[in-house]
Amino acid sequence: MQDQLSALVTKAEAELPSLPTRPDVEAAKARYIGPKGELTGLMKQMGTVPKEERPAMGKLINQTQMALQALLDTALARIEANELAAQLGPAIDPTLPSPDPLPGTRHPLTLVREELNSILRKVGFTVVEGPEVETEYYCFDALNTPVDHPARDAQDTFYLPPEATFPNVAKKVPNEKYLLRTHTSSVQIRTMLKGEPPIRMVSPGRVYRRDTVDATHSANFHQMEGLYVDKNVTVSDLKALLDYVLKSLLGADTKVRFRPHYFGYTEPSFEVDLSAKHLPKVNKEWVEIMGCGMVDPAVFDDVGYDSSVWSGYAFGMGIERIAMMMYGIDDIRYFYQNDLRFLRQFS
Amino acid sequence: MKFSRNWLQDYVDLSGLSDEQISEAITFLGFEVEGIEHTGAPQLSDVVVGEVLTRDQHPNADRLSICSVSVGEANGGTKRIVCGAQNYKVGDRVPVALIGAVLPGNFKIKPSKIRGEASEGMMCSGKELQIGDDHSGLMILTNRPEVGTPINDALPEGDVVFDIEITPNRPDCLCHLGAARELAAWFRRDLVYPQAEMQKRGAARPDLLKTLRVDSSEDCPLCTATAISGVKVGPSPVWMQARLSALGIRPINNLVDIGNYVMLEYGQPMHMFDAKALAGASIVVRRAAEGKTLVTLDEKERQLTSDMLVIADAERSVVVAGVMGGEKSGVSEATTDLVLQVAAFRRQSVRATSRKLGLSSDSSYRFERGIDVHSLPEATHRAIALVLEVAGGQVCGETLRVGSDVPWERAVLVSPAWVRSRLGFEVSDDDQRGALEALDLLITREEEIDGGVQWTVRIPSWRSDLDRPIDLVEEILRVHGTAKIPAKTVTGPGLLVEDDPIAQYNRRTSTYLIGQNFNECVTYTLRSKLDTAAWADESAVDPLGLANPFVEDQSHLRPTLIGGLVDSLRLNQSRGNPVAGMFETGRVFISNTKGVQECAAVGFIIREGSDAAWTQREASDFYTAKRLIETIAAEAGIDLVRQPHLATDDGAEAGWQQGQHTLQGNMAYGWTARYGMLDLARLKGLGVTGKVLAGVFAILPERLVKAGKRSRFQPFSLQPAAWRDVALVVDESEAAGDMLKSLTKLARSAAKGFDLEAVGLFDVYRGKGLPDGKKSLAFSLKFRAADRTLTNDEVNKTFTTVLAQVAAKTPYQVRS
Repeated sequence: MQDQLSALVTKAEAELPSLPTRPDVEAAKARYIGPKGELTGLMKQMGTVPKEERPAMGKLINQTQMALQALLDTALARIEANELAAQLGPAIDPTLPSPDPLPGTRHPLTLVREELNSILRKVGFTVVEGPEVETEYYCFDALNTPVDHPARDAQDTFYLPPEATFPNVAKKVPNEKYLLRTHTSSVQIRTMLKGEPPIRMVSPGRVYRRDTVDATHSANFHQMEGLYVDKNVTVSDLKALLDYVLKSLLGADTKVRFRPHYFGYTEPSFEVDLSAKHLPKVNKEWVEIMGCGMVDPAVFDDVGYDSSVWSGYAFGMGIERIAMMMYGIDDIRYFYQNDLRFLRQFS
Repeated sequence: MKFSRNWLQDYVDLSGLSDEQISEAITFLGFEVEGIEHTGAPQLSDVVVGEVLTRDQHPNADRLSICSVSVGEANGGTKRIVCGAQNYKVGDRVPVALIGAVLPGNFKIKPSKIRGEASEGMMCSGKELQIGDDHSGLMILTNRPEVGTPINDALPEGDVVFDIEITPNRPDCLCHLGAARELAAWFRRDLVYPQAEMQKRGAARPDLLKTLRVDSSEDCPLCTATAISGVKVGPSPVWMQARLSALGIRPINNLVDIGNYVMLEYGQPMHMFDAKALAGASIVVRRAAEGKTLVTLDEKERQLTSDMLVIADAERSVVVAGVMGGEKSGVSEATTDLVLQVAAFRRQSVRATSRKLGLSSDSSYRFERGIDVHSLPEATHRAIALVLEVAGGQVCGETLRVGSDVPWERAVLVSPAWVRSRLGFEVSDDDQRGALEALDLLITREEEIDGGVQWTVRIPSWRSDLDRPIDLVEEILRVHGTAKIPAKTVTGPGLLVEDDPIAQYNRRTSTYLIGQNFNECVTYTLRSKLDTAAWADESAVDPLGLANPFVEDQSHLRPTLIGGLVDSLRLNQSRGNPVAGMFETGRVFISNTKGVQECAAVGFIIREGSDAAWTQREASDFYTAKRLIETIAAEAGIDLVRQPHLATDDGAEAGWQQGQHTLQGNMAYGWTARYGMLDLARLKGLGVTGKVLAGVFAILPERLVKAGKRSRFQPFSLQPAAWRDVALVVDESEAAGDMLKSLTKLARSAAKGFDLEAVGLFDVYRGKGLPDGKKSLAFSLKFRAADRTLTNDEVNKTFTTVLAQVAAKTPYQVRS
């Protein structure tokens, strides 16, 4: 019987490792250790074994059963491993490029605008939007622009025909014409007319000039204009803000200077130059970057704010211009062509 | 405007100041220096004044002459020089480059043989000496300097020309006196006015000037006319020519040059008539007669209209007032008697005329910006004095004058403490006073008010831009120096305001699309009419047109973002850049019966199928676009699944592929979504290869204002779910959404005591086993109870009810 037991193990050792499927193993399990299996059959012969040998023989049967079970487990484990392996595809080549699309990209104008928004947000300026189709009142009259100012010329500003109707853009003055806004300052007027001071707003957006398209001019471009209205706002507050904004955007080495200038809706008015030799393609010592000034009392009077109580400043810059300077882009048209080799350079 | 340093020096002492210092002063005074140019001859050694003694034909060349030229004893007496120029004669004095001279361009003068004849130097043109462009011949020194004089001593001194942009609020600086006044303030130096001697006047000459009349006094508040007889027309003096030339103005003759000179000095344009050309010896300022024409100095015939102001004689218009003189009435070489007419014209009038004629001049530029009527008499006086000095003659009688001469008086009250409160930093009373006085803004009165000082500041007539205290803040800061604004830390109390909903919306949707591997684009708002017509009904295109487009292909407001994106796709394809997806956020303009509404919009395009890659990915299709647009709409609070699909025959068929796109919402809803495939034929026509999916969602800004409701937690069952599948056979035209809706309704009411949790659509089948024109949709019903495990029996019972209901209440056929 001892020989029969070891022959059984030997047979299982020969058979099980080559069984290909789970059912084969299950069938083999029944044959070896099932109720009708060979081991059970041998166990039934225990009665023929002399009594004194039974304990040893019992132990031997147990060992045989464990050995067979281990062989069956191994066979199942092997089959499971094969099954998992079969789920895998061919071996990878980690150097093959992914065929999936390259990551999406944000447009450089968005990157610059959002960075400026976030810099300004830290000091309390939030974004206000306004319509791109405006009326003469919001774009010119309310900003102290004389009736015969060249900026109003049909030569410089796009107008809609007199019969155009824009139900969402109410005319403030009867018979005034609709136009495409030439700056986002119109949003400041809307905000002031709608709300009460204090105001701390920034209006980024698209503006239009009737210009010949070339490396530095575009029929539409983007501006970012800020307005702060409060009590006791001073020139040095304005300088402090723009120092902060431009150094945050372009680096702490950036130097900022104010040059007196003229704008119809600010007094005093300044042009802002910056000196940032670390920027690409900046080869002049001072580069003009934006305009600003203290809100002209006439503008406050026009929107019904008491100019003896309220004061404020406004500033405006071209987003394309800043982006061109930051990234060293030499032609404004790149922004509007959307060549992927351009778009993918910025993130 | 260009300014000459030499000229400015007449009125303000600029000695000891470098050009850079002057340029910086101009910059900080508030004027942009656009260029600095040096004029005059470069320093030349061994170039001297010579006189041509003899001129003989070169034996071997028709075009050459052999000259003997005296260059002075110190330079070796007389030189033999071969010369190719033709414009000189014996006795002329010319610049001569001696042996050893080095001319500009590193051109060394050596002894040479020209066609066999020896030449010991070179007679020079202006261009060869780099003093002008004249290369037509030798530079004839008409003022006949001493022979042998080094050429630099014989030529007018070089000059520095500053090209300065004068801001529109400062017409007083459109002249040298004005600019000098600013520099005098900056450097705190004295301003010296030009001296004009009072002239003795002769008897009046009614034959030269009888009448001065102004018919349109509202457009011409002041006009003067002065007759001067016996003038001699000729070249103006070298110093005057040099100054005009330095500023790029071609000297004509002494009279014309004086007109220009005084304009550049005082900013006052003026006109000189040949007295003989003035019919009736009269000058009349009036409106033009409609339909008449006038040939202006530039030899162009100008059509006049009745709203244009002209200067006429007794018979006809002779000058477009303030803009340009007529061809015939001006002074010429033959003039002996002249009438000097000086006027102030209303800005708007000159501007309107200049624009209407498409004609602008130095004169109209100054009138449009405004001249100081109070310095008109002084400028007139100066011009008369210069005429007498340069061209001789005699003033005939009094200057005729028409117009009001209201004395100028203006004062502004300001307190230095208030100025400091506007500036936000310390500028002492004394410094403020110093700045004001430097600009001729004199403090005429000083009083104590409310414990502080208040100044009465007198505003001079040329500074009519100053009339409020805030204007003086700017003047003080300008002269004090903006570089002195101290640095400080920015402060910003929060105002508890959120960014505009549009900005937030664009941020969210673009972040989503970039996460889906889209490239953000920015395209032009203005599109061609043709492109606009592809996306909107014919009747909706015209309202989008501009009144004054600049170029034809940018004539209409865009009704969609897709046109620009397709252009970008095409550009990339033509440049060999494979495109997957592109999007833009921006405004679009949608016209309907109410008018045009400006909407915030998000649009995208997807080039269907990937370009060559080593393994194929699943292609995008309509349903890709659908998921994207649903998500974009959901960000605006619109649940597209619940929204009906509308007829798509609204005029956008040219742009979208028929039967392959859909429309949800329109401007009556306040938003609209359109998505699907773009028209294949049109894309092909545009040169775009491949199929393109697109979607655009537009919404009125006011619809974005509402903030979404905060979500509430919904409890859900922890019990196991049970599924039953059913396939329904229907006509091809049946919409899956409708089936889903009715099956859900039936199943929900059939489930008693537990819930229908979801109905999923997991297969759409056509073909073998189904009749033509039929399709089979397979749905999976998911049931679950809140409190127990469902038994097979109760689920089966419910499912049987569902199938019976489907058979009874719907045209759907349950597929076995």
